[in-house]
Amino acid sequence: MKFFKAFLGGVAALGIFSAAAAGDEEELFVQGILDQAEPHLAAPTEKERFDGIAELVDEYVDMRRVSRFVLGQYARKLTDEQRAAYDPLFRKYATQVYQNILSEYAGEKLAVTGSVDRSERDIIVNSKIANARPGSDFADTVVHWRVYRNRDGALAIVDAGADNVWLALEQRTTFGSVIANNGGPPAGIDALITELAEKTGD
Amino acid sequence: MPKGLIKFAAMAACAVFVLPASAMAQLSDIEDTEAIVADAEAVSAEEGAAVDPWEGFNRKMFGLNNAIDGVVLAPAAQLYRAVTFKKQRRGIRNFLDNLKTPVVLINDLLQGEFKRAGNTASRFVINTTVGFGGMGDPAERIGIPQHSEDFGQTLAVWGVDSGPYLILPVFGPSTLRDGFGAGTGLAMDPAIWIRTDAASLFRYSRAGVSGISIREPLIEPLEEIRANSLDEYASFRSFYLQARKREIANGRTNFDDLPDIGDFEEFDDLE
Repeated sequence: MKFFKAFLGGVAALGIFSAAAAGDEEELFVQGILDQAEPHLAAPTEKERFDGIAELVDEYVDMRRVSRFVLGQYARKLTDEQRAAYDPLFRKYATQVYQNILSEYAGEKLAVTGSVDRSERDIIVNSKIANARPGSDFADTVVHWRVYRNRDGALAIVDAGADNVWLALEQRTTFGSVIANNGGPPAGIDALITELAEKTGD
Repeated sequence: MPKGLIKFAAMAACAVFVLPASAMAQLSDIEDTEAIVADAEAVSAEEGAAVDPWEGFNRKMFGLNNAIDGVVLAPAAQLYRAVTFKKQRRGIRNFLDNLKTPVVLINDLLQGEFKRAGNTASRFVINTTVGFGGMGDPAERIGIPQHSEDFGQTLAVWGVDSGPYLILPVFGPSTLRDGFGAGTGLAMDPAIWIRTDAASLFRYSRAGVSGISIREPLIEPLEEIRANSLDEYASFRSFYLQARKREIANGRTNFDDLPDIGDFEEFDDLE
């Protein structure tokens, strides 16, 4: 009987342990990216910072998922030709946005402060500037990373935000607005593609 | 310049970015009760019509405000930056924030946030005395951080829906509820009730300096939004509504009402 209780206790302990480990995995994932970002953010020239950020975005952001999310109700309305034009332009555009926003943190180091599970596969990891200089504009800013776990268990970043203001949400609003104000699909989607090309210099 | 014109210029200067700034500056400064969820919940196109039924009017006002900003406020902010040091600007911002204390205190109390009301009162006493009339913020250093409240936030806490998104001429982005709240907030300001030339001069100067002081740190962020955005109007609406939600929640965060990002059929081919 004693053995049985100890066995149950062991099983329970293992269960708790693995749950905790699961919670930490996303935090470790984000911290790993932030560690890699540090030298890029410390780079002396904007070009080096931009190149470094682009490399990380390319590796860790699930652009295909984000590119569809930001189309909202129009995600399935693209023709094959439109899709072929849209995908690479969106990738370029979103990378550019990440570059501009993250370079505001040039010279800073971000550290994970905790995480919130929206679901098993949709996790918000929060971070802040470590050792912010007194008076720093971003000392109190919470930088969020939305991490998504695909069916195979692989993690990827799908959105980033600061103090509850999210990039992909803003993109979904603007993209929806451009599409709707240009007569909806398909013309509106062509207009969106033209705008994206313009903003990315293509 | 005739006196009337100076007054108008000061008012215009103060006002263009006062409301949006409270939101944008709060890219660093937003609870989520059920009533508020509808506010900012993913304003995608289909929901856009519900949040922003007055888009035609709003876009006109947005254009007008941008024009005023370009002629008056942005140049003034650039000049202000050129002639002051960062520390001085911080002092001026602290001073102006300290002046807002009565309004913040009233709204803390109206929301039943007694602890925050205590913080507001303590901050006023500490910063007005030890902080040289509010130029410094020693209260922050001893652990009583600043927070903002206004009557629109109080109405939200009382359960009033935001109503449609509304861009006020000169005052900038708001909602029907918050626009009404801003008007009521003016009446809560002690300085509005003193009818002397000195008090009027004080109000106009404070308004002008506030506008410029709020606009100055937004020079780069606004340029960046303009450079990146496909639709400036829609970007500002999204940023404003998202940030305002958190402000109403007194900085508490809630991720439950974010739209799902993964489980649409569209994504099946991604897995």
